[in-house]
Amino acid sequence: MINFEEELKKFHPSLEIEDAEEAIYNQDLTDMADLLVKMVKESKEKDEE
Amino acid sequence: MFCYNCGCSLSEHDFCTACGADVSLYKKIMQVSNMYYNEGLEKAGVRDLSGAINSLRQSLKFNKNNIEARNLLGLVYFEMGEAVAALSEWVISKNLRPEKNIADDYIDMIQSNASRLDTMNQTIKKYNQAYNYCVQGSKDLAVIQLKKVLSLNPRLIRAHQLLALLYIDSEQWEKAKKEVKKCLEIDRNNTLALRYLKEVDLMLNPDASGKPAVKRKNEDSVRYQSDNEIIIQPLNVKETKRSGVSTLLNIGLGMIIGLAAMFFLVLPGRIAEVKNEANAKIAEIGNQSDAKTATITELESQVKGLEAEINRVNRELEGYVGTDGTLSTIDTLLSTAASYLETKDAAAAGASLDEISAGIDVTQTSEAFQKLYNSLFTVVGSELAQTYYREGRAYYDSSKYAEAITSLTGAVYYDASNVDALYYLAQAYRKNKDTANAISTYQKVVELFPGTERATKSQEYINQLSK
Repeated sequence: MINFEEELKKFHPSLEIEDAEEAIYNQDLTDMADLLVKMVKESKEKDEE
Repeated sequence: MFCYNCGCSLSEHDFCTACGADVSLYKKIMQVSNMYYNEGLEKAGVRDLSGAINSLRQSLKFNKNNIEARNLLGLVYFEMGEAVAALSEWVISKNLRPEKNIADDYIDMIQSNASRLDTMNQTIKKYNQAYNYCVQGSKDLAVIQLKKVLSLNPRLIRAHQLLALLYIDSEQWEKAKKEVKKCLEIDRNNTLALRYLKEVDLMLNPDASGKPAVKRKNEDSVRYQSDNEIIIQPLNVKETKRSGVSTLLNIGLGMIIGLAAMFFLVLPGRIAEVKNEANAKIAEIGNQSDAKTATITELESQVKGLEAEINRVNRELEGYVGTDGTLSTIDTLLSTAASYLETKDAAAAGASLDEISAGIDVTQTSEAFQKLYNSLFTVVGSELAQTYYREGRAYYDSSKYAEAITSLTGAVYYDASNVDALYYLAQAYRKNKDTANAISTYQKVVELFPGTERATKSQEYINQLSK
């Protein structure tokens, strides 16, 4: 049986156009490739030390 | 594919031929990203938008520079009614690749039409307002608002979902199902929509699912909707098991009761009805019989009357026809006329006319017969009247009053205008001691010939005889 209150928690307000700019700026665009590059750099720095 | 270290184009080797960096893992990451992109594309192609979003996000997690995946993700968001999310992805895509990027076209498409953009913004605001109504508990207002949102943007999936949830909460299963179905038309494998659909189907078709009726808020009854009916079934009522024997017994008992009811209740009524019908029929027949009897009686009386009429006519006809079968009366009249014309014998003609008038009623004969008769009578009568008058006067003068009466009567008969004949007839009656006839004859003189000497004398005799 569906509980209205519990289901309502799964919904959230939608972004309005005025909030789009802020949403874009706040978006985290880090991907696996970036993590890989970061890991490779860190390991290189460790090796040089 | 380009090297993450130096940016040179990579070969089929697992290392960069320019800087020597190990690119095997990097290549695999790119491959996985591409794989997810392909998966997302395939899912988008079959309208599994939720699945496509998941796959494309995974693809972007592995490689944020996968422009195709990002553009496609924006498209999918737009198709689901999430215009701002779509715009975000396309803006990011354009920033990552400013040139030769289809995201330019998508952004222009949205931004060029200001009214459309404004409408999108309004729908989002209304949706947020509806969501706030739900949180506050004003579900009716939320429903109204969501309906407005969907009229402006029928593709906003989350609005369909929220509306479906509200219908489910108010147990309007059919409406909830409609909203969920609309949602699934846009996004075929939307998890939330599928879950709501399952719930609604369970409520609408409890038998099909095989599960027992669902309890609602500790009530002791189950309520569910079947088509357009809401069925409320108490939970704690259990039907007792019945064996076949008791069923048969019950059926037999019912039949016996039915037969008894029919015998005691229905049958007498039916019999009475039939009797009443028969009585009514008998009464009707009796009435018809009476009417016919009356008709017969009337007809019989008519027959009698007609028979009498026939007899009368036959007698009359016999008077005309006679024993030899001819119209003897007419024949007699014609013979009399012919005889008189020959012999000029007035006495014979007069006797013959008397005979005719004695046999029939002259006034009932034909016009021609009457004319001939009257003409003959007039001609013969005047001569006869003179003869009878002379004869009567002779008898009177001889004091033979009886003979005088006879002759003078004939004279008066043939000539009623002869005052002397009438007067002397009255005198003969008087002298013959027939007072009554004398008075009546004197009266005739007075009435027929007023103002004459005979009338005066007659009046004197009347007065004298009346004393």
